[in-house]
Amino acid sequence: MTIDGNYVAPEPAPQPGSFPVSIGWTQAAIAISSVMVLKTPMNLKMNIEMHGPLLIDFERHAFSWSTPLDHFPVDAVHTGLETIPGGAGAPPLFELPGTDLDGLLWQIGLNSFDGAPAFWLSPGERYRLTRWPNLTQHSHDMSQVKMIAVLGNAYVSTQELAGYTGVAVTDAQRLVNALSLMRILARSAEAPAAVVAPETAAAKKQSLFSRLRTRLGRADG
Amino acid sequence: MAEHVILFTGPMGAGKTTAIQSLSEIEVVRTEANNSERHIVDKETTTVALDYGEILVDRDEKVRLYGIPGQQRFNFMWTILKKRAKGMILLVNSDAPDPIGEMTFFLDEFRELYDRGGVVIGITRADVVAGPTLAQFAEALERTNPGLLIPVFTVDPRERDQMVNVLLSLIANIEMRAMFGMITEAESA
Repeated sequence: MTIDGNYVAPEPAPQPGSFPVSIGWTQAAIAISSVMVLKTPMNLKMNIEMHGPLLIDFERHAFSWSTPLDHFPVDAVHTGLETIPGGAGAPPLFELPGTDLDGLLWQIGLNSFDGAPAFWLSPGERYRLTRWPNLTQHSHDMSQVKMIAVLGNAYVSTQELAGYTGVAVTDAQRLVNALSLMRILARSAEAPAAVVAPETAAAKKQSLFSRLRTRLGRADG
Repeated sequence: MAEHVILFTGPMGAGKTTAIQSLSEIEVVRTEANNSERHIVDKETTTVALDYGEILVDRDEKVRLYGIPGQQRFNFMWTILKKRAKGMILLVNSDAPDPIGEMTFFLDEFRELYDRGGVVIGITRADVVAGPTLAQFAEALERTNPGLLIPVFTVDPRERDQMVNVLLSLIANIEMRAMFGMITEAESA
């Protein structure tokens, strides 16, 4: 403080580890994608209000969190994000083996970007699966199964995917975001539009998939 | 009556009979005999001819579920059953001596079902032993059958919910393969 009355309060010094509080999972998805792209031995710790720390070990493709994924908080309040050096010699972040990371990436991908394209995707791209997600372990609906089956057999854009499966473009985009975050989606700006086979008489009838999912009590989506 | 035949294949002890029991709406028809290969799989009996179950889709349509005998000495049944099938659920137990080798073997044996329909691979007992990871199964698939994108899931055949997921994924995949002209025969499942 000066004595001539011209005192100007200094800007508060940044607190170590200060973090803009965010709601939802978009910032988390961006952070995870950024770390995965770098391919450096780096791990993440996310502090989430009411849900404790979420620890991710990328090298072991595992995470640890007190909140089970079937209670995934879509509107989680993130209060901190910390990168932690990993690699040889670094102590494990949590008791191994932890939980397979794919389930967490699936949930984060579906619940980020509010149905808009993830920031790492580019306009004009078509997508195709490189590996099916382990659907017996991820909470999903039948429209997602159908979309995944399309992506497993053809390069399609998000709009084409929505068109082939009769879902909203935002829902198709959420799935594309999730599969992309899981790094099981190939992207191409050059891939041509898929060619659809002439519809057979059998296919013109409502599909067996539709009838069977109704019969088996999975008429959602 | 419209019929859709799905085969359950894989080595002895992979859980084929249990998987069909989880899905079938009728009492499963089982044909078993004493297991002569207890040094390989420690269970008293094993399927000799086939297991059979079914799901009625509506009055005029059903899904027939056939389980093959896992032992190679009964492979005459494999030839008979695969002629009628449109899709295959290949179960491989993670605690088998060579689960990746088993997957590759059965996929080769029943490759025509992929070409004219679709295949889903279910890895059983993955929660019991630390066997190969799904990524390792997928890598082996890509190495032995380049370009084949086959769903590989972990699955507990006792859990009906999981088996329904597997079956519906298979049907969805067969229909999309037909839609994009990737099936060698005209009809879809």
